[in-house]
Amino acid sequence: MFDIDLMSRTPIYEQLYNKIVELIIKGVLTENSQLPSIRALAKELGVNPNTVVKAYNQLENDGIIYSLTGRGSFIARVTDSTIKRSMFAQFDECVLKAIQTGISKNELIERINKVEIS
Amino acid sequence: MIELINTSKNFDSFKVLDSINLTIPKGVTFGLLGSNGAGKSTILRLLCGIYKADGGSVTIDGESIFNNPKVKEKVFFINDETIQFANFTLKELKNFYKGFYPNFSEELFEKLRKTINLPLDKKTNAFSKGMKRQAIVIIALACQTEYLLLDEAFDGLDPTMRIIVKRMLVDAMLDRELTTIISSHNLKEINEVCDSVALLHQGKIVFNRDLDSVKSNIHKVQVVFPQINENLPQSYTEKEFPNLDILHFEQNQSVYHIIIRGNEEEIREKFKSKKPLVLDIIPLSLEEIFIYEMEVLGYDFKGIDN
Repeated sequence: MFDIDLMSRTPIYEQLYNKIVELIIKGVLTENSQLPSIRALAKELGVNPNTVVKAYNQLENDGIIYSLTGRGSFIARVTDSTIKRSMFAQFDECVLKAIQTGISKNELIERINKVEIS
Repeated sequence: MIELINTSKNFDSFKVLDSINLTIPKGVTFGLLGSNGAGKSTILRLLCGIYKADGGSVTIDGESIFNNPKVKEKVFFINDETIQFANFTLKELKNFYKGFYPNFSEELFEKLRKTINLPLDKKTNAFSKGMKRQAIVIIALACQTEYLLLDEAFDGLDPTMRIIVKRMLVDAMLDRELTTIISSHNLKEINEVCDSVALLHQGKIVFNRDLDSVKSNIHKVQVVFPQINENLPQSYTEKEFPNLDILHFEQNQSVYHIIIRGNEEEIREKFKSKKPLVLDIIPLSLEEIFIYEMEVLGYDFKGIDN
Protein backbone atom coordinates (compact mmCIF):
# COMPACT_ATOMS: atom_id res chain seq x y z
CA MET A 1 0.00 0.00 0.00
CA PHE A 2 2.85 2.34 0.83
CA ASP A 3 4.85 1.45 -2.22
CA ILE A 4 7.45 4.06 -3.01
CA ASP A 5 9.94 4.39 -5.80
CA LEU A 6 13.40 3.86 -4.37
CA MET A 7 14.97 4.90 -7.66
CA SER A 8 13.11 8.20 -7.74
CA ARG A 9 14.93 11.50 -7.34
CA THR A 10 12.40 12.67 -4.77
CA PRO A 11 13.58 12.06 -1.20
CA ILE A 12 12.03 8.95 0.33
CA TYR A 13 10.48 10.77 3.31
CA GLU A 14 8.78 13.20 0.92
CA GLN A 15 7.40 10.36 -1.17
CA LEU A 16 6.08 8.75 1.97
CA TYR A 17 4.46 12.00 3.07
CA ASN A 18 2.77 12.46 -0.30
CA LYS A 19 1.68 8.84 -0.40
CA ILE A 20 -0.08 9.07 2.94
CA VAL A 21 -1.83 12.33 1.95
CA GLU A 22 -2.88 10.68 -1.29
CA LEU A 23 -4.31 7.67 0.54
CA ILE A 24 -6.27 9.99 2.84
CA ILE A 25 -7.72 11.92 -0.08
CA LYS A 26 -8.69 8.72 -1.83
CA GLY A 27 -10.45 7.61 1.31
CA VAL A 28 -8.23 4.56 1.86
CA LEU A 29 -7.00 5.92 5.18
CA THR A 30 -9.84 7.33 7.25
CA GLU A 31 -10.00 9.42 10.40
CA ASN A 32 -8.56 7.70 13.48
CA SER A 33 -7.27 4.72 11.51
CA GLN A 34 -3.85 3.60 12.62
CA LEU A 35 -0.72 3.94 10.53
CA PRO A 36 1.84 1.11 10.52
CA SER A 37 4.47 1.39 13.23
CA ILE A 38 7.79 2.92 12.30
CA ARG A 39 9.44 -0.46 12.61
CA ALA A 40 6.89 -2.26 10.45
CA LEU A 41 6.97 0.36 7.72
CA ALA A 42 10.77 0.65 7.65
CA LYS A 43 11.03 -3.13 7.36
CA GLU A 44 8.35 -3.37 4.70
CA LEU A 45 10.05 -0.77 2.55
CA GLY A 46 13.62 -1.74 3.45
CA VAL A 47 14.49 1.82 4.41
CA ASN A 48 16.07 3.56 7.36
CA PRO A 49 13.62 3.92 10.27
CA ASN A 50 14.76 7.54 10.72
CA THR A 51 13.32 8.26 7.27
CA VAL A 52 9.92 7.02 8.38
CA VAL A 53 10.23 9.06 11.58
CA LYS A 54 10.95 12.14 9.50
CA ALA A 55 7.86 11.64 7.32
CA TYR A 56 5.62 10.97 10.34
CA ASN A 57 6.98 14.01 12.19
CA GLN A 58 6.26 16.24 9.27
CA LEU A 59 2.75 14.83 8.88
CA GLU A 60 2.17 15.45 12.56
CA ASN A 61 3.46 19.02 12.35
CA ASP A 62 1.07 19.65 9.50
CA GLY A 63 -1.80 18.26 11.54
CA ILE A 64 -2.44 15.37 9.19
CA ILE A 65 -1.73 12.66 11.73
CA TYR A 66 -1.53 12.55 15.51
CA SER A 67 0.37 10.18 17.75
CA LEU A 68 -0.43 8.68 21.12
CA THR A 69 2.56 7.75 23.24
CA GLY A 70 3.07 4.02 23.21
CA ARG A 71 0.15 3.39 20.89
CA GLY A 72 1.29 4.67 17.54
CA SER A 73 0.24 7.17 14.91
CA PHE A 74 -3.29 7.80 13.68
CA ILE A 75 -4.95 9.78 10.95
CA ALA A 76 -6.24 13.07 12.28
CA ARG A 77 -9.58 14.48 11.33
CA VAL A 78 -9.31 15.02 7.62
CA THR A 79 -9.96 18.69 7.34
CA ASP A 80 -10.85 20.54 4.21
CA SER A 81 -7.63 22.47 4.58
CA THR A 82 -5.54 19.29 4.33
CA ILE A 83 -7.25 18.31 1.14
CA LYS A 84 -7.19 21.83 -0.21
CA ARG A 85 -3.51 22.23 0.50
CA SER A 86 -2.63 19.07 -1.36
CA MET A 87 -4.95 19.84 -4.27
CA PHE A 88 -3.65 23.38 -4.61
CA ALA A 89 -0.07 22.16 -4.54
CA GLN A 90 -0.81 19.89 -7.49
CA PHE A 91 -2.79 22.61 -9.22
CA ASP A 92 -0.01 25.18 -8.83
CA GLU A 93 2.47 22.77 -10.32
CA CYS A 94 0.29 22.20 -13.38
CA VAL A 95 -0.36 25.91 -13.83
CA LEU A 96 3.34 26.67 -13.63
CA LYS A 97 4.13 24.05 -16.25
CA ALA A 98 1.34 25.31 -18.49
CA ILE A 99 2.58 28.89 -18.27
CA GLN A 100 6.12 27.75 -19.02
CA THR A 101 4.93 25.99 -22.14
CA GLY A 102 3.35 29.23 -23.28
CA ILE A 103 -0.32 28.82 -22.38
CA SER A 104 -1.79 32.17 -21.35
CA LYS A 105 -3.59 32.87 -18.11
CA ASN A 106 -6.80 33.60 -19.94
CA GLU A 107 -6.69 30.27 -21.70
CA LEU A 108 -6.30 28.57 -18.33
CA ILE A 109 -9.24 30.47 -16.86
CA GLU A 110 -11.35 29.56 -19.86
CA ARG A 111 -10.34 25.97 -19.37
CA ILE A 112 -11.38 25.97 -15.72
CA ASN A 113 -14.78 27.34 -16.64
CA LYS A 114 -15.16 24.69 -19.30
CA VAL A 115 -14.24 21.85 -16.94
CA GLU A 116 -16.74 23.14 -14.43
CA ILE A 117 -19.59 23.14 -16.92
CA SER A 118 -18.94 19.66 -18.28
CA MET B 1 29.78 8.94 18.80
CA ILE B 2 32.67 8.47 16.43
CA GLU B 3 35.19 11.24 15.95
CA LEU B 4 38.10 11.56 13.59
CA ILE B 5 40.08 14.71 14.19
CA ASN B 6 42.81 15.70 11.75
CA THR B 7 43.31 12.04 11.06
CA SER B 8 46.02 11.05 8.59
CA LYS B 9 47.22 7.70 7.38
CA ASN B 10 50.14 6.97 5.09
CA PHE B 11 51.35 3.81 3.50
CA ASP B 12 55.04 4.45 2.86
CA SER B 13 55.09 7.76 1.06
CA PHE B 14 51.51 7.39 -0.14
CA LYS B 15 49.10 9.63 1.73
CA VAL B 16 45.86 7.67 1.92
CA LEU B 17 44.04 9.95 4.37
CA ASP B 18 44.95 13.59 4.57
CA SER B 19 43.87 15.32 7.81
CA ILE B 20 40.29 14.14 7.82
CA ASN B 21 37.66 15.49 10.20
CA LEU B 22 34.54 13.41 10.58
CA THR B 23 31.92 13.11 13.30
CA ILE B 24 29.30 10.38 13.26
CA PRO B 25 26.60 10.65 15.94
CA LYS B 26 25.03 7.62 17.64
CA GLY B 27 22.11 5.84 16.06
CA VAL B 28 22.60 6.94 12.48
CA THR B 29 23.36 4.94 9.39
CA PHE B 30 26.27 6.59 7.70
CA GLY B 31 27.40 6.00 4.12
CA LEU B 32 30.97 6.35 2.90
CA LEU B 33 31.16 7.01 -0.82
CA GLY B 34 34.14 7.63 -2.98
CA SER B 35 36.24 6.75 -5.95
CA ASN B 36 38.37 3.62 -5.87
CA GLY B 37 41.30 4.17 -3.58
CA ALA B 38 39.70 7.23 -1.96
CA GLY B 39 40.33 5.93 1.55
CA LYS B 40 36.96 4.41 2.52
CA SER B 41 38.32 1.08 3.71
CA THR B 42 41.19 2.81 5.46
CA ILE B 43 38.70 4.86 7.52
CA LEU B 44 36.83 1.70 8.48
CA ARG B 45 40.06 -0.04 9.45
CA LEU B 46 41.07 2.93 11.60
CA LEU B 47 37.65 2.83 13.25
CA CYS B 48 38.03 -0.76 14.38
CA GLY B 49 41.63 -0.42 15.48
CA ILE B 50 43.29 -2.51 12.78
CA TYR B 51 45.31 0.50 11.64
CA LYS B 52 46.95 3.12 13.82
CA ALA B 53 46.54 6.68 12.62
CA ASP B 54 49.77 8.45 11.66
CA GLY B 55 48.38 11.79 12.70
CA GLY B 56 45.34 13.10 14.56
CA SER B 57 42.96 11.00 16.61
CA VAL B 58 40.32 8.32 16.18
CA THR B 59 37.92 8.05 19.10
CA ILE B 60 34.74 6.15 19.85
CA ASP B 61 32.61 7.59 22.64
CA GLY B 62 35.55 9.77 23.56
CA GLU B 63 38.13 6.99 23.85
CA SER B 64 40.88 6.03 21.46
CA ILE B 65 40.27 2.64 19.90
CA PHE B 66 43.78 1.54 18.94
CA ASN B 67 45.03 -1.15 21.34
CA ASN B 68 41.97 -0.63 23.50
CA PRO B 69 39.98 -3.87 23.92
CA LYS B 70 37.26 -2.21 26.01
CA VAL B 71 36.37 0.05 23.09
CA LYS B 72 36.86 -2.67 20.50
CA GLU B 73 34.06 -4.64 22.17
CA LYS B 74 31.69 -1.95 20.93
CA VAL B 75 32.65 -2.32 17.29
CA PHE B 76 32.18 -5.08 14.76
CA PHE B 77 33.89 -4.82 11.40
CA ILE B 78 32.76 -6.78 8.37
CA ASN B 79 35.67 -6.87 6.00
CA ASP B 80 35.12 -6.80 2.27
CA GLU B 81 37.39 -9.81 1.97
CA THR B 82 35.51 -12.89 3.05
CA ILE B 83 38.47 -15.22 3.53
CA GLN B 84 38.50 -15.53 7.30
CA PHE B 85 39.52 -18.65 9.17
CA ALA B 86 38.43 -20.89 6.33
CA ASN B 87 39.21 -24.00 8.32
CA PHE B 88 36.59 -23.21 10.92
CA THR B 89 33.04 -24.48 10.87
CA LEU B 90 30.33 -21.87 11.39
CA LYS B 91 30.01 -23.06 14.98
CA GLU B 92 33.74 -22.62 15.63
CA LEU B 93 33.74 -19.25 13.97
CA LYS B 94 30.81 -18.15 16.09
CA ASN B 95 32.51 -19.36 19.28
CA PHE B 96 35.68 -17.54 18.29
CA TYR B 97 33.90 -14.20 17.99
CA LYS B 98 31.76 -14.91 21.05
CA GLY B 99 34.96 -14.87 23.09
CA PHE B 100 35.57 -11.23 22.20
CA TYR B 101 32.06 -9.84 22.41
CA PRO B 102 30.40 -10.08 25.84
CA ASN B 103 26.97 -9.08 24.50
CA PHE B 104 26.85 -12.05 22.13
CA SER B 105 23.38 -13.57 21.95
CA GLU B 106 23.14 -17.30 21.16
CA GLU B 107 19.40 -16.92 20.85
CA LEU B 108 19.65 -14.21 18.19
CA PHE B 109 22.37 -16.15 16.37
CA GLU B 110 20.21 -19.29 16.17
CA LYS B 111 17.20 -17.28 15.07
CA LEU B 112 19.15 -15.62 12.26
CA ARG B 113 20.91 -18.82 11.26
CA LYS B 114 17.62 -20.67 10.93
CA THR B 115 16.12 -17.87 8.86
CA ILE B 116 18.78 -18.35 6.22
CA ASN B 117 19.38 -22.06 6.76
CA LEU B 118 23.15 -21.97 7.12
CA PRO B 119 24.79 -25.29 8.18
CA LEU B 120 26.49 -25.15 11.57
CA ASP B 121 28.99 -27.99 11.21
CA LYS B 122 30.34 -27.48 7.70
CA LYS B 123 33.72 -25.86 7.26
CA THR B 124 33.29 -22.37 5.94
CA ASN B 125 35.78 -22.99 3.14
CA ALA B 126 33.07 -25.17 1.61
CA PHE B 127 30.79 -22.12 1.64
CA SER B 128 30.18 -19.98 -1.42
CA LYS B 129 31.26 -16.34 -1.32
CA GLY B 130 27.72 -15.25 -0.54
CA MET B 131 27.33 -17.84 2.22
CA LYS B 132 30.61 -16.72 3.85
CA ARG B 133 29.23 -13.23 3.82
CA GLN B 134 25.97 -14.41 5.34
CA ALA B 135 27.88 -16.25 8.05
CA ILE B 136 29.84 -13.21 9.11
CA VAL B 137 26.78 -10.93 8.93
CA ILE B 138 24.72 -13.08 11.29
CA ILE B 139 27.67 -13.40 13.68
CA ALA B 140 28.07 -9.63 13.58
CA LEU B 141 24.43 -8.98 14.39
CA ALA B 142 24.45 -11.59 17.16
CA CYS B 143 27.44 -9.83 18.75
CA GLN B 144 25.07 -6.90 19.40
CA THR B 145 27.73 -4.25 19.25
CA GLU B 146 26.92 -0.55 19.36
CA TYR B 147 28.76 0.08 16.12
CA LEU B 148 28.73 -1.96 12.97
CA LEU B 149 31.14 -1.30 10.12
CA LEU B 150 30.31 -2.76 6.74
CA ASP B 151 32.90 -2.61 4.01
CA GLU B 152 31.31 -3.06 0.58
CA ALA B 153 28.39 -4.12 2.64
CA PHE B 154 25.85 -5.74 0.44
CA ASP B 155 28.03 -6.76 -2.43
CA GLY B 156 28.10 -10.53 -2.03
CA LEU B 157 24.50 -10.89 -0.94
CA ASP B 158 21.52 -11.94 -3.00
CA PRO B 159 18.39 -9.74 -3.08
CA THR B 160 16.54 -11.80 -0.46
CA MET B 161 19.50 -11.70 1.89
CA ARG B 162 19.78 -7.95 1.36
CA ILE B 163 16.21 -7.46 2.52
CA ILE B 164 16.82 -9.77 5.51
CA VAL B 165 19.93 -7.83 6.51
CA LYS B 166 18.17 -4.48 6.09
CA ARG B 167 15.30 -5.65 8.28
CA MET B 168 17.73 -6.90 10.90
CA LEU B 169 19.41 -3.50 10.83
CA VAL B 170 16.07 -1.73 11.33
CA ASP B 171 15.45 -3.80 14.46
CA ALA B 172 18.94 -3.18 15.78
CA MET B 173 18.61 0.56 15.19
CA LEU B 174 15.28 0.79 17.00
CA ASP B 175 16.10 -1.66 19.81
CA ARG B 176 19.61 -0.61 20.72
CA GLU B 177 20.45 2.50 18.76
CA LEU B 178 22.91 0.73 16.51
CA THR B 179 25.23 2.98 14.54
CA THR B 180 26.12 1.59 11.15
CA ILE B 181 28.80 2.78 8.79
CA ILE B 182 28.56 1.44 5.29
CA SER B 183 30.99 1.84 2.44
CA SER B 184 29.56 0.98 -0.91
CA HIS B 185 29.53 1.73 -4.58
CA ASN B 186 25.90 0.76 -4.74
CA LEU B 187 24.38 4.21 -4.48
CA LYS B 188 20.83 2.94 -4.67
CA GLU B 189 21.39 1.00 -1.49
CA ILE B 190 23.09 3.94 0.23
CA ASN B 191 20.12 6.10 -0.73
CA GLU B 192 17.72 3.68 0.91
CA VAL B 193 19.46 3.01 4.17
CA CYS B 194 21.62 6.01 5.06
CA ASP B 195 20.83 9.17 7.04
CA SER B 196 24.08 10.89 6.14
CA VAL B 197 26.83 10.41 3.64
CA ALA B 198 30.40 11.55 3.16
CA LEU B 199 32.02 11.65 -0.24
CA LEU B 200 35.75 10.96 -0.26
CA HIS B 201 38.28 11.62 -2.96
CA GLN B 202 42.03 11.15 -2.77
CA GLY B 203 42.11 10.98 0.99
CA LYS B 204 39.98 14.08 1.57
CA ILE B 205 36.33 14.61 2.35
CA VAL B 206 34.49 16.37 -0.47
CA PHE B 207 31.27 16.76 1.49
CA ASN B 208 29.70 15.30 4.57
CA ARG B 209 26.05 15.97 5.32
CA ASP B 210 22.64 14.44 5.68
CA LEU B 211 21.31 12.76 2.60
CA ASP B 212 18.22 14.91 2.13
CA SER B 213 20.22 18.12 2.22
CA VAL B 214 22.74 16.66 -0.23
CA LYS B 215 19.87 16.10 -2.60
CA SER B 216 18.21 19.45 -2.06
CA ASN B 217 21.43 21.35 -2.62
CA ILE B 218 22.19 20.29 -6.17
CA HIS B 219 19.93 20.49 -9.20
CA LYS B 220 19.76 19.77 -12.85
CA VAL B 221 18.38 22.74 -14.74
CA GLN B 222 16.92 22.35 -18.19
CA VAL B 223 16.40 25.74 -19.70
CA VAL B 224 15.48 27.27 -23.05
CA PHE B 225 16.05 30.97 -23.68
CA PRO B 226 14.08 33.15 -26.08
CA GLN B 227 15.71 33.82 -29.45
CA ILE B 228 16.74 37.39 -30.17
CA ASN B 229 15.73 37.07 -33.76
CA GLU B 230 14.56 34.24 -35.94
CA ASN B 231 17.84 33.44 -37.63
CA LEU B 232 20.15 33.95 -34.76
CA PRO B 233 19.68 31.71 -31.73
CA GLN B 234 21.11 33.39 -28.72
CA SER B 235 23.95 31.38 -27.32
CA TYR B 236 25.01 31.46 -23.71
CA THR B 237 28.16 30.20 -22.12
CA GLU B 238 28.97 29.36 -18.55
CA LYS B 239 30.52 32.82 -18.10
CA GLU B 240 27.18 34.53 -18.45
CA PHE B 241 26.01 33.09 -15.14
CA PRO B 242 28.70 34.31 -12.77
CA ASN B 243 26.42 34.21 -9.73
CA LEU B 244 25.65 30.51 -10.05
CA ASP B 245 27.75 27.65 -8.72
CA ILE B 246 27.88 25.62 -11.92
CA LEU B 247 29.29 22.09 -11.93
CA HIS B 248 28.46 21.12 -15.45
CA PHE B 249 27.31 23.06 -18.50
CA GLU B 250 26.04 21.55 -21.68
CA GLN B 251 24.09 22.80 -24.66
CA ASN B 252 22.06 20.57 -26.90
CA GLN B 253 20.54 22.64 -29.71
CA SER B 254 18.29 25.17 -27.98
CA VAL B 255 18.18 23.34 -24.64
CA TYR B 256 20.77 23.93 -21.95
CA HIS B 257 21.49 21.27 -19.35
CA ILE B 258 23.19 22.84 -16.38
CA ILE B 259 24.11 21.22 -13.08
CA ILE B 260 24.05 23.83 -10.32
CA ARG B 261 24.71 23.80 -6.60
CA GLY B 262 22.21 25.73 -4.52
CA ASN B 263 18.60 25.55 -3.48
CA GLU B 264 15.78 25.47 -5.97
CA GLU B 265 14.22 28.85 -5.19
CA GLU B 266 17.50 30.73 -5.46
CA ILE B 267 18.32 29.10 -8.76
CA ARG B 268 14.88 29.88 -10.15
CA GLU B 269 15.22 33.49 -9.02
CA LYS B 270 18.60 33.91 -10.70
CA PHE B 271 17.33 32.71 -14.06
CA LYS B 272 14.35 35.06 -14.06
CA SER B 273 16.18 38.04 -15.56
CA LYS B 274 17.01 36.00 -18.68
CA LYS B 275 13.28 35.33 -19.19
CA PRO B 276 13.57 31.63 -19.99
CA LEU B 277 10.86 30.03 -22.12
CA VAL B 278 11.30 26.76 -20.28
CA LEU B 279 12.87 26.34 -16.90
CA ASP B 280 12.79 22.89 -15.34
CA ILE B 281 14.63 22.31 -12.13
CA ILE B 282 15.02 18.63 -11.31
CA PRO B 283 16.69 17.04 -8.30
CA LEU B 284 19.57 14.66 -9.05
CA SER B 285 19.89 11.02 -8.13
CA LEU B 286 22.73 10.16 -5.78
CA GLU B 287 24.51 8.51 -8.67
CA GLU B 288 24.42 11.72 -10.72
CA ILE B 289 25.58 13.76 -7.73
CA PHE B 290 28.53 11.42 -7.36
CA ILE B 291 29.48 11.72 -11.03
CA TYR B 292 29.19 15.52 -11.23
CA GLU B 293 30.95 16.18 -7.93
CA MET B 294 33.78 13.94 -9.07
CA GLU B 295 33.89 15.62 -12.47
CA VAL B 296 34.62 18.94 -10.78
CA LEU B 297 37.57 17.27 -9.08
CA GLY B 298 38.89 16.10 -12.42
CA TYR B 299 37.80 12.51 -11.95
CA ASP B 300 35.66 11.71 -14.94
CA PHE B 301 35.29 9.71 -18.09
CA LYS B 302 36.16 12.48 -20.53
CA GLY B 303 38.77 11.33 -22.97
CA ILE B 304 37.23 7.90 -23.12
CA ASP B 305 35.50 7.47 -26.44
CA ASN B 306 31.90 6.56 -26.19
